[in-house]
Amino acid sequence: MSAAPASVPTCGSQHCITCGDDGVPMTVVLIDQRRGLALCAAADGERTSVETALVEPVATGDLLLVHAGTAIGRL
Amino acid sequence: MKFVDEFRDPELGRALSGEILSLVEPGRHYKLMEVCGGHTHSIYKYGVDDLLPANVELVHGPGCPVCVIPMGRVDDGIALAHEDGVIFTCFGDMMRVPGSQGSLLEAKAAGADIRMVYSPLDALRIAKQNPDREVIFFAIGFETTAPSTALTLKRARAEAVPNFSVMCSHVTIVPPLRALLESPDLRLDGFIGPGHVSTVVGARPFEFIPADYGKPIAIAGFEPLDILQAIVMILRQLADGRCEVENQYTRVVPYEGNLRALEVMAEVFELRPHFEWRGLGFISHSGLRLSEAYADLDAERRFDVPGVRVADPKACQCGEVLKGVIKPWECKVFGTACTPERPIGTCMVSSEGACAAYYNYGRFAREREVV
Repeated sequence: MSAAPASVPTCGSQHCITCGDDGVPMTVVLIDQRRGLALCAAADGERTSVETALVEPVATGDLLLVHAGTAIGRL
Repeated sequence: MKFVDEFRDPELGRALSGEILSLVEPGRHYKLMEVCGGHTHSIYKYGVDDLLPANVELVHGPGCPVCVIPMGRVDDGIALAHEDGVIFTCFGDMMRVPGSQGSLLEAKAAGADIRMVYSPLDALRIAKQNPDREVIFFAIGFETTAPSTALTLKRARAEAVPNFSVMCSHVTIVPPLRALLESPDLRLDGFIGPGHVSTVVGARPFEFIPADYGKPIAIAGFEPLDILQAIVMILRQLADGRCEVENQYTRVVPYEGNLRALEVMAEVFELRPHFEWRGLGFISHSGLRLSEAYADLDAERRFDVPGVRVADPKACQCGEVLKGVIKPWECKVFGTACTPERPIGTCMVSSEGACAAYYNYGRFAREREVV
């Protein structure tokens, strides 16, 4: 391979959010109690489903520290 | 944003920088290791090292989970990815790590179905969407990421997803730190402790550092002021003749860690007798595999894995970089044969890797110094 193509998958332009020891502050927007998931929004507005088993109970508006799709702490 | 902006305040940064200057003894050289790759990245990104006096040196530790994966393990992943009917999933940076016969990215180009995911939950979702395929998740990371894999495995069990399995390469932080502290060619004055690993494991597991080795440690967050404040804490301990575990990152690190995360990890994983670390060799009880209770979801038991050990490339000095013995730019191939576009060693792959972080942010400042 001569050089990696521009589309080389990375977790982000500045940082690998999943494989590094990184945590993203996210706000709970919607809770799916049955599946143990919450829809959370990051500061830039990006939304994602987050596993909340480690920080339950959660409520709408809670600020969570999210790593690899799982909330590992509260802020 | 709350919890971000206030930790990037330039005035406070200058004040902390002045405090650091007042705490160092002239003529004494201070060598502090930032254990975590996330800290390395922040230090270069925000130029934290430019705010330190010349006699305070930051050394990069082994805390990038991509950087410590040995070549043989990448080869195992590629072998699994080439199995008939397999969809192989992993985190983005892992795709570029070179194995002995190329990377996962090159295997994907050669036809293997390899997909990047942001979370293990994404891999489970792919499994549910493709019931006629076997979906394997290549799990890497320290204790920060391991609970996410563990919860996904519990979910796979609860939802009876038969075509999902995990190739577990999770590692633990304490054994490599102990190995480093035992290393005769390393002299360190203190440690900047990993922030988010500690969110999960707490501050307690690091007590051996002051107790057994007489070194101070301050667990730190990832914003520039977090790191500067942790350096102040370590230097103050040294000035007072103390050594203990201090927690700078109290806003998310409880002393006992996240007990639910520790419970779920204990249920799903068990320690391997030994695990190979790139550049550091085999370290006892430093890697995790799936416990007997989850053996049926273990890709290494479900499929034949070659498991061949491959020596690190001779030109690559990732081992010395990971141990903090040399700086990235002192490696023979740094920035020439080894670049983020064509990495030889894993420290150049991940954005958390010391070499990549230095290549992306630090080398220009050094070039100015040289000129």
